[in-house]
Parts: sequence; structure tokens; C-alpha cells
Amino acid sequence: MRISIDWLKEFVKIPSSTQEVADLLTMLGLEAEETYDTTQLTDIVIGEVKAKDIHPNADKLSLCQIFDGKNELPVVCGAPNVDVGQKIAFAPVGSILPEGIKIGKAKIRGEVSNGMICSESELGISQEHDGIMVLKENAKAGTPFVQYILENAASIELDITPNRPDCFSHIGVARDLSVKMSTPLSSPNYNPRIYKKNEVKDMISIEFENTDECPRYVAGVVQNVEVGPSPDWLKNRLESIGQRSINNIVDISNFVLMEMGHPTHMFDYDKFESKSLLIRRGKNGEKITTLDEIERKISPEQLMITNEEKPVAIAGIMGGLDSAVTFDTTTVLIESAYFDAPTIRKGAKSLGMSTDASKRFERGADPNGAKNAYWRVVQLLEEVAGGDWVPGIVDPYPKVITQNPIVLTRKKLDLLTGCDIDDSFVIHTLNGLGCNINGKSDKWICTPPTWRPDLEREVDLIEEVLRVYGYDNVPSKYHYNGVMEGHNPDPHKGLAHIISVLTGLGFTQLFNNSLQSNRQVSLLDIPSVKILNPLSDNMNQLRTSIIQGLLKTADFNIKNGTSDLMLFEWGNVFEQKEPGLEGIVEKFHLSGIIHGAIHQKSIHRSIGRLSSIFVLKGLIKTFLARIKIHDIVFHPDTDNEFGFENALSVHTQGDVIGYIGDISNNIIDGMNLDIAKSFGFQFDLNKILLLSEREIKYRPIINFPIVDRDLNFVINESTAVGEVISAIEKNGKAILKSVNPYSIFRDESVGSTKKAVAINLRFQSSTKTLEDKDVNSVINEIIRVVSKIFSAKLR
Amino acid sequence: MNIKESIESVQKSFRADSDPFPNDSQSIEDLRIKYLGRRGLVADLFSGMKDVPVEGRPLAGKLLNELKQEIGSAFDAQVDLSKSGAPNKGESDYSLPGLSFPIGHIHPLQQIMDDIKSIFMDIGFSVAYGPEIDDDFHNFSALNFPPEHPARDMQDTFFIDPKTVLRTHTSNVQIHLMEEKDPPLRYIIPGRVYRNEAISFKSYCLFHQVEGLYVDKFVSFADQKGILEYFVKRMFGSDTKMRFRPSYFPFTEPSAEVDIWSEKRGQWLEILGCGMVDPEVFKSVDIDSNDWHGFAFGMGVERICMLKYGIDDIRLLYQGDMRFLEQF
Repeated sequence: MRISIDWLKEFVKIPSSTQEVADLLTMLGLEAEETYDTTQLTDIVIGEVKAKDIHPNADKLSLCQIFDGKNELPVVCGAPNVDVGQKIAFAPVGSILPEGIKIGKAKIRGEVSNGMICSESELGISQEHDGIMVLKENAKAGTPFVQYILENAASIELDITPNRPDCFSHIGVARDLSVKMSTPLSSPNYNPRIYKKNEVKDMISIEFENTDECPRYVAGVVQNVEVGPSPDWLKNRLESIGQRSINNIVDISNFVLMEMGHPTHMFDYDKFESKSLLIRRGKNGEKITTLDEIERKISPEQLMITNEEKPVAIAGIMGGLDSAVTFDTTTVLIESAYFDAPTIRKGAKSLGMSTDASKRFERGADPNGAKNAYWRVVQLLEEVAGGDWVPGIVDPYPKVITQNPIVLTRKKLDLLTGCDIDDSFVIHTLNGLGCNINGKSDKWICTPPTWRPDLEREVDLIEEVLRVYGYDNVPSKYHYNGVMEGHNPDPHKGLAHIISVLTGLGFTQLFNNSLQSNRQVSLLDIPSVKILNPLSDNMNQLRTSIIQGLLKTADFNIKNGTSDLMLFEWGNVFEQKEPGLEGIVEKFHLSGIIHGAIHQKSIHRSIGRLSSIFVLKGLIKTFLARIKIHDIVFHPDTDNEFGFENALSVHTQGDVIGYIGDISNNIIDGMNLDIAKSFGFQFDLNKILLLSEREIKYRPIINFPIVDRDLNFVINESTAVGEVISAIEKNGKAILKSVNPYSIFRDESVGSTKKAVAINLRFQSSTKTLEDKDVNSVINEIIRVVSKIFSAKLR
Repeated sequence: MNIKESIESVQKSFRADSDPFPNDSQSIEDLRIKYLGRRGLVADLFSGMKDVPVEGRPLAGKLLNELKQEIGSAFDAQVDLSKSGAPNKGESDYSLPGLSFPIGHIHPLQQIMDDIKSIFMDIGFSVAYGPEIDDDFHNFSALNFPPEHPARDMQDTFFIDPKTVLRTHTSNVQIHLMEEKDPPLRYIIPGRVYRNEAISFKSYCLFHQVEGLYVDKFVSFADQKGILEYFVKRMFGSDTKMRFRPSYFPFTEPSAEVDIWSEKRGQWLEILGCGMVDPEVFKSVDIDSNDWHGFAFGMGVERICMLKYGIDDIRLLYQGDMRFLEQF
């Protein structure tokens, strides 16, 4: 909502500095988003258009004579609205406009132009660029434009929150200021007229289908109006807040809207087929062409104003074109209604429309304001358009809307605010905002005005008092009552450590988009959660795995020159297991990939080290050990659903906690990525967090010596060394401490389908110094078992 | 295993252990003890000689001596190098760069999120988490966003179905918390939230939020000011100029927004929203608002992150560009 400073001054005395007003409003909860800055306009002066001729060489340009207070200068102007006698904002030769454009002496199509007549957008005071800015008649040629703008057109753009429909108007904003500054508030003139006979009743009758949707419909008629351009004061008012003047009748409706906040509509009375209006729900198949010349398809979602079955307006949203005021209109039917907020909201939403009227109705207009607005429109129609009011008013209002009284207690006020606010301040504030207040300090009875539908409860009143009191005046308390809870204060406590270990190992953390395309998601055989209203097809479902995002990022970095990558991300992935919300499973994952070289070739290493599954396996083992998960076992796993080839599942204590493997080419090709070989891991983060919380129990240090033995088995090429190791471990009794294969030898002498694996075994007893015979018996058993299972031979 | 095989085995083992030759003194010493120590593997082999049949001893003795010499000279070579001051085989030019190891980076959002968490945990807040996909009740209705209310327009929403949404804020967890636990409660709730907004330099379809909820018998607006001032000063520095200004959120009353002053930009910057928990919210979770009061607040991690590091395009945070991430 754009508020004109000059307009505000009609209702309340305000500080002279626009910035000061903006700050006051912001601290009242009416956030000033932008004050139109005029400090860069010092070069601009007010000029007067003394003469205007068509440019000899261009029909669309005018050749004007501008009086700048001293001289008359020739100026070429392209705006259609320039005219003799106008006062305008003139940028003389040598001046600089806010956008940095310097005005020079120019020849335009052969004619000399000594300066420029400016539009509002060129001056940086609004977006208006359809024509030049026309100033008030009393502006004096030759005086600085800044002075004029400060007095006349300074404005503030306010961001009005949805709870304050009353502040979509100058009077509403003025009221808040008057309360804050304790200065009186004047109201616009909307005194009811006195009449003997309600003549308008013979001209118009209103019927309702449902009065809950339209609780009140005020109507009246003004005859013999003369439709034409608005007087300058009216034009200036509207233009000062960025509205365009259309004609005097429409301008009056808009003026009242901006002044009091109540939407009204002007029909051309003669376009109606009968005097009766029916307010009813729209029907499927119905159509109406609205004022903006767009044909709208109506449904029962909309409330319609109809005349003899024909829709003439979409209630509370926009009028119809057929019954609109034109330059031929002589008799105006004024509508000033009050519609139910949710009804208008649903109607506007289903049409995808948002208008100045619908914005106010859907937030809650003032049912009593409807009548005030009517009288204000009547008065202005007579004053501005020379109309004759038809005495009377049609005002069906079967259930009068009132606000319920609210009890406000001192106890709650003190408790909630935490500060001490005087009785007199409370009363002054609530009165000033329009509340009727009775009772004493411990218990006030307060009835809010109908223009404040947001005031329904005690807390709402407390907010009003506190907001006017000033949040900055509330003392900050640094002593507060504590709450202590015995449980773990952060269920993800271990995550910071996990991140620190991974980054310490060389992994870089990513945050990727959880919204993905069907193409990305469908690469895995996991049913995904789909979005009903996606931003685009590229983001129409939720990720089922973190891996694709990592690969996409890897691809991005490879294309940008970084190909040695170690990346990880934690976050949620989603699976639609069964239909509906209950069928959605959110899984907490930790995933990563490695790609390229882990160690670069350097002076110290003649060859770099490329990432491989063994590099990853080692990294994972170190990572897990570092977060207290020591006893892990890798098993081949062809059955994983995460797109790994040659996958290994990671087991600990009989449970699978994750997977590692080669990233499958299906995924890389499916996503169209330029990635060579990469390797990935995926862990169930909840399981890891839980496991890493394990308590450490100290085991006494064993001082008995370690005995090293090496075994060299010849086994079939197809036998996995890991299985041999497991077999050895299983048969190592209590004294086998570690098993470590250190070389694989392939040679004719060993056999073409065989390999010789040298394995180091370390033994230690916790109770004594091992003797040869202790170790030998275990070794013999190991040799026996391994030989049997794997048809192995000692070399 | 006969003595010959044993000797070969120790030899093989040493060759494996010494390639590459360890380059710190502790490992060199360990290696020496393992092979040449008093009870080392070589000594073991010598003591095994007594079991070797007499006719085999000369050959075995020869092999064993060769092994001992091989191992010994390997150590000598290394010791010589150490004496000449070389850090590694052959190189004595200390101006050479060191070995390179991969460097990992913690994402700036993570760093800010961790900072926020730790500040609140220092003053006794616990941390809670909740689902990113939730029903209308937890994301809207229970937070006093009635259906068809204009406040719903403040947050553009992704729907999974007409009653299920991608949460637009982590406030849904407030509701879960109050459903599951009795007050007093003091929690912060970090997490990922979604908004159906076109992606640009200043907005993304998702972001991260940290919400807070504090419910107790006597909690006032003044307490809220104290706690949030403490947070702001720790996050942005003790001389940070800040203000609370009235605002509107359906789930708080009175509501406020907190701005901090940026000297550089010459303007106030909004950093968080807060307010006293609305009685309607308490009602929806069966907490008696006559007895219990509280405040709630919420902040965008991205916004704070961008302010702190001077990042001008939110998309950088999700692009995973190493040239960006390696700065953190």
C-alpha cells in the first residue's frame, strides 16, 4: 500500500521528515519498505508549458516552449499527455537524472531541444512512465522541484500484514500515527444526508441467496452525472500513490478506496434491464467479461451480482464491462457492500485474480464502513461530477455485525509483556484505536471497532497496547526460569563429529536440492514422493537417494576444472512405500563419493594415487573407527537398491549400516554425466549416530609378547581372500589378534589358475607368554580348516 | 616349514615392510626391533638353527647371514640418509613443498547452523527434529492458519496431496513436541523447509530454518527480548545494533521481527521473526493458555549465512562449486 504524506496530513499532524514518518510506521508494525528518494532531484526545476506544436518531422513528438522561470526554451517531448498551461518537472541542459543520465543540448529530428520534460519513472519517484508528470496548477515555474515533491508527492510504500485490513487506507494509517503521537485524528466527511422520502427504493431492489456471504449491500443512485476528466486535486491524489486517473466517476471510487479502505463499485444504471439485483453463487458455464476486458469463466466458487439472470459483477473482485461507467453514462448506481472474507478469497483464488477490492474484502472489510463509503461517494459525485443524488439509500443488512466485548486484565498484561504499562496509557491507546473501553485496571471490558476484525481476544489487545508502547521500550530480561531435562539435549549430537571426521579425511560437504526430476529419481528402483504443484518438471519429486545429487555436483566441478573430488552430504531421502502420508518414509542418510586422484603426483610420489574401491574401503574403515564403530565387516551384496555395482554391504554387530561400491554406469549414463570411474558410500545416519554413542570400556593393556607368524597359501584364483581371512579369524581361538594379507603371488610355478597369498598372523595371550606349542596348535588347526574349505595348499 | 622356507618368509616379510621404508624414527625403530632385535625374527631363525639337521646347516647358515646382511644394510642406508638430514629418500632441499593431503571443507550452512545450535544450547535449549513432509494440521491449522486464511499466502506451498505438504517452516515440529511432551519446554528446531518460489539470486525452493520454542508458567515478552538479544550479540558481535518491531504471524501474538543495523549498507536487515505463542496454538495441542505462556522464534540459516559471509547469491549454497566451498 502506497501512502502519500500529503494525503496523511489531511487527517493527522505528522513530522516533517518523510523518513521520520516511515520509521514511526515501521515501529508500529506497518513496515515502510521504500520511501521514494528525492535527494537526487536537485537539478530539476518546475517549468510551464507555454506553447505546444506538432513536431514538423514526427507526428508523435511535440515541440514545446517551456518557461523555466527566466527564459522560454524549445523542448521536444514524446509524451501524449503534454499540454499548454501544464506545470511540469523540467530537467534543464546540464542536469543529471537519478539514473545517471545527463541532459545535453540535442537536436531531435532536426529540431533543437534544450532540456527534457520528465515522467515519474525518469524522476525515480514511481514506476509510471506512460506520460510526463503533471504538477499542481499552483506550482511556480522556476522553483526547485524537490521542494514541490516534498510538499506534494512524497510517499511511502507500506508492507501491510494480513491482519491489518484497516491499514489499506490513509485514514487507517493516520489513526495509528495519531495514537502513537497522541495527536488528534480528523475524519473524511461521510455524514449521512437527510431525506424525506426514500426515493431510491423505487429504482433499485436487492435480493440475496445467502446473507452469510453478503451480510450487507448498500446501494444508491446519483443522476445527471457528467463523466469527464477528474479535477487536478483528485488526479494528483491518485497519481501521488501511483494510481492512474481514468475518469471522474472511477477516480472517485478509487479515491474513497484509498482514503477509507472500503471498496465501492459504480454501475451504469441505465445498462440494467430491471431494477432488481440478485446476489447469488455463480453457475457453471456462466461467463462475464470484466472491466479489464477479459472473459472470465464463472463457477459456484464465485459470488455474483446479477441482474435478470445476467452477471453484472463478480462480487468483491471486479465489475463487469457491460455495466461499466462510460463517457455516455448519466446515472450511476453506487454499490458499497460488505462481503464475507473467505467467500471472496476462495472466489478470487479460483479465478487467479487479486484486485484492490478483493485484497481488502478477503482480509476483512468494515461492515459499517460500507455505509460511510456510500455517503462519501455521494458527496464526491455531486462535488466533482455535478450529479444529483436520488434521495434515499437501499441498505439490506439483516444481521448487524458487531464486535464482541473482550476482557483485558492487568494480570495477563503484566505477565505477557513483562513490563509495567500505566492504566492511562492502556486506555488512551485502545480508545485511540477505536475501542470502547470500560471498567478498571484489574479488568477492563473493551469492545473493538468493526474495522478491526483482527481484535478478538485478550492477547490481541495486549499486542495493540505493546505495539504502541513500543517494543523498544520493553526492558530485556536476562534472568529467566530454567528448564532442565535429563535426556540427550540433541539427538544429532554426533553429527558434528561425523562431519569433522569426514572433512578431516578430505571430504567436502555439500547441500544439494532435495527436489529432483523424474529422470534422476527413476534411475533407482525406489518409489518416489511426487509433488502436486512443482516449480518445474525438473523438480517434481523428492530424492530417493543422495547419490544423484553428489554425482551432478561432481560433474559440475569436473566441467569447471576440479576433477579430484571427495564429496559427502547428509540429509533426508524419501520413499512412497504405500499411498498417502502414512506410506511416506523419510530416511536419514549419509552418502559420499570419491572421484579422480586421492593423492596427486608430486616430487615425493612419482605416481599419484587414483581413487579405487580399496581407497574408499580404507577411508570408510578409518571413518567408522574414528566414530567408535570398530567391528565392521564388508560383505559382497548384489542386491542393493542404491545403484552401486560390485557393492559391499557394511555390517556391524549383525546389522547392515550401509553400502559402498562402484557407481553404476546406468546412473552416470542415465544422468548424462561426464564422469569416469567413481565410488560411493551410503549409510543409515540414524544407525551410525546411535552406534557412535557407544560407551568406551577400558581394557587392560596386555604386556605379554606378540608372536608373528606368516602363512603362505596357494588357493584357487576364484577364491576370495576375504573368505580365507574370515575362516582364519573364526579358527584363531582367543589368541589370534590380527590377520593381514600382505602379498599375492601369481606365477607358472604356482599354477595357472592359482594364486599364492602370504598372510601375516599375530598372536597374543592375555594371560601368559605364548609358547611355540600354543601357537602351533592353533596354526595347525587353521591350516587344516583352510586347506579343507578352499582346497588350499601351503606353499 | 623347513629353515629355508622360514628364511625366505622373513625375507619377503621384510621386503614388504620396508617398501616404502618408514620415514619417521619411531617406525624405523619398530622395524629394526621386529627384525634385528634381541628377540627379533632374525634372532628367532638363528635360534632355530639348532633344530636343523647337521648336513643342512652350512647352507642354512649362509642364507641366514645373507638375510641379516640385507636387512642390516637397508637400515644403514637409511641411517646415513638421516645423518645427512634428508627428510625423505634423497631430497635435502627444504624449499620443496610438503606432501599434499586432501582437504575437506565444512559447508558454510552447516557452520552457521552449528553456531546457532551451540549458542542456544549454551543457555539451556534442547534440540528437536521432525518430518519434512507433514499434514496440513501440523504445518498450518494447528499453527492458527485456518483454511482459506490470507496468511497462507505468506508461504507458497508445495503439496504432495491436498492435505499433505512439504513443510513451509519447522514450526510443524513445535506442534509435534507439544503433542508429545508436557510443558515446560525449551527447544530449538533446525531443519530443511520448502517454499514454492521461483529460484533466483535471492530465493530458492528450499532453505533451512532454526525455530525456537520456550513454554513455561511465567515467560514474557521481556524474556524473549533478553534471550534473542543474547543470541544476536553472540552471533553478530556484542556491539550489534538491533531492534524489535511489531509484525504479524498467525502463530504468535504479539509478534515481532528483529532487525540488525548494517553500517555497510546503511539499512536495517531483517534476521528473525518471533512472538508470544498464540493461545490458539496452545488450544490445538491441549495446553491451557491460562497457565502456560511462551514464545517462539524462527530464523533462516541461509539469510544469516549470507549476511555473515557476504554471499550475494543464495544459489551458490546449493551448487556445490568447489571454488566456492573451498573458501570455508
